[in-house]
Amino acid sequence: MTTARQTWAVTRYEFRMQIRKRSLWITTAVLAVVLTLTQGDRGPRHLPLGTPPREVMAGWALLMSILLPIGFGMVLADRLTRDRRLGLASLLESLPTGRGALVAGKYLGGLASTAVPAALVLLTAAAAETAHRHDPALFAWAVVAFALITLPGLAFVTAFALVCPLLTTAPLFRVLFVGYWFWGNMLNPDLFPSLTGTLLTPLGDYPATWLMGERALYAGADGWLEFLRPQPGGTTTVLAIALLLLLSLPPLALAPPLLRRRNLSA
Amino acid sequence: MKHLPLWRHELRRAGWTACSPAAALAATLALTAAAAAFGTARPQLERILLTGLEALIPLSAGMAAVAVVSRDPSRELQLTLPTPYTTTLGRRLAVLGGLSAALSIAFSAALALGGWWNGPGLPYAPLVWAAPLLWLTGLALLVAALGRSVVLATTTVAAVWLGEQLFATSFATTPGLRPFFLFMTTRIGVPTDWDANRAALTTSGALLAALALILLRRPERLLTEEET
Repeated sequence: MTTARQTWAVTRYEFRMQIRKRSLWITTAVLAVVLTLTQGDRGPRHLPLGTPPREVMAGWALLMSILLPIGFGMVLADRLTRDRRLGLASLLESLPTGRGALVAGKYLGGLASTAVPAALVLLTAAAAETAHRHDPALFAWAVVAFALITLPGLAFVTAFALVCPLLTTAPLFRVLFVGYWFWGNMLNPDLFPSLTGTLLTPLGDYPATWLMGERALYAGADGWLEFLRPQPGGTTTVLAIALLLLLSLPPLALAPPLLRRRNLSA
Repeated sequence: MKHLPLWRHELRRAGWTACSPAAALAATLALTAAAAAFGTARPQLERILLTGLEALIPLSAGMAAVAVVSRDPSRELQLTLPTPYTTTLGRRLAVLGGLSAALSIAFSAALALGGWWNGPGLPYAPLVWAAPLLWLTGLALLVAALGRSVVLATTTVAAVWLGEQLFATSFATTPGLRPFFLFMTTRIGVPTDWDANRAALTTSGALLAALALILLRRPERLLTEEET
């Protein structure tokens, strides 16, 4: 069995295990409803009729990116640590599947299983907006907004949520993750040194700003680490997405030796 | 004295979970140092230090409380013992609360001695962290008991915490929400209704925790819906 086939097998099983989790769906639904109801006057629901569908769906994708990744991070935090706790680590070690394929499969499966509810939320928003605005192009832009705003951030969050608990334990990771999400995504960089509004922001500030045609949150704003906040545009959007995907790789590369140390120390 | 080994055991058992409040304070100090290195003004730095007490310690305690009630590999065995399992859970939560309190008091004292304290008068200083800690922990326990899911409980705590940070202005200006504003000291200061806010948080937090412990007396509530 090739490594690719092993990875595919792990991906499929991880996806099927995750997608059936009741808490994944309840969490996504509750957060999506809360965000929809509390979005305020500047939210996408209140954009005037005639607003380009590109802006409407970018607004929805950005709005959902504020809280949904928190729920996904909580769901994924124990996916690599639980095997040892459930007494499965030695069994998995005895299989021909390598640790690299296991980590890659769990990553892809975890990413896919959290991407499905996130995509469904955006498609639901597109359906509601279509009933209101009578523009079927909203569905196409929902897909674009999902691919550019939601998915890269989700790829980044999934990598860190899978691997960091191997170093910190899942409960400690969950605390640090919430603190990081506020500090690194939403804290005004002009008031406090933070990564908010930089190319490294998994919230999707740069792609959202590019799609909306105006600054979505803090992309390109003045503040600490200004060299990481270039003027938003097409190129910087591609750069932001590429950087997020690139930054997802180091934790994944670190995971197999960490798993080895953890499983063999039992 | 005869219970001392039991408490010592619970302290050791808490392991990394008990380190959450310490990690929260370490993160606060790191952020303050970074802000100072970038020339942030002193009042702002004092506010960041106070944020560690009012926002990060309660968040870490709430998350850790979920781990305490949701993870026990020998839960069925515990249920067969003469000591009620809720007593054991209470002891574990007390260890967590005690650690958080000890760290918070030491941190407050250090800030006061160093001239960095920017909160209410020192007799009221414990209310800066104790009220939001009790409220978030009570909420975490109740959702964990009702939902029987670590993910649901931790996400709820995280969403409420983030929501109150993001919509701080709404919480500060809406009469119905103001008594439940967790971050009044760091976001507004010590206004005349600060005492009322702390009293409302403490009372409702104790109520949430009591409700959760009543629910946890029913053994089926201890079985989590998904493995944790």
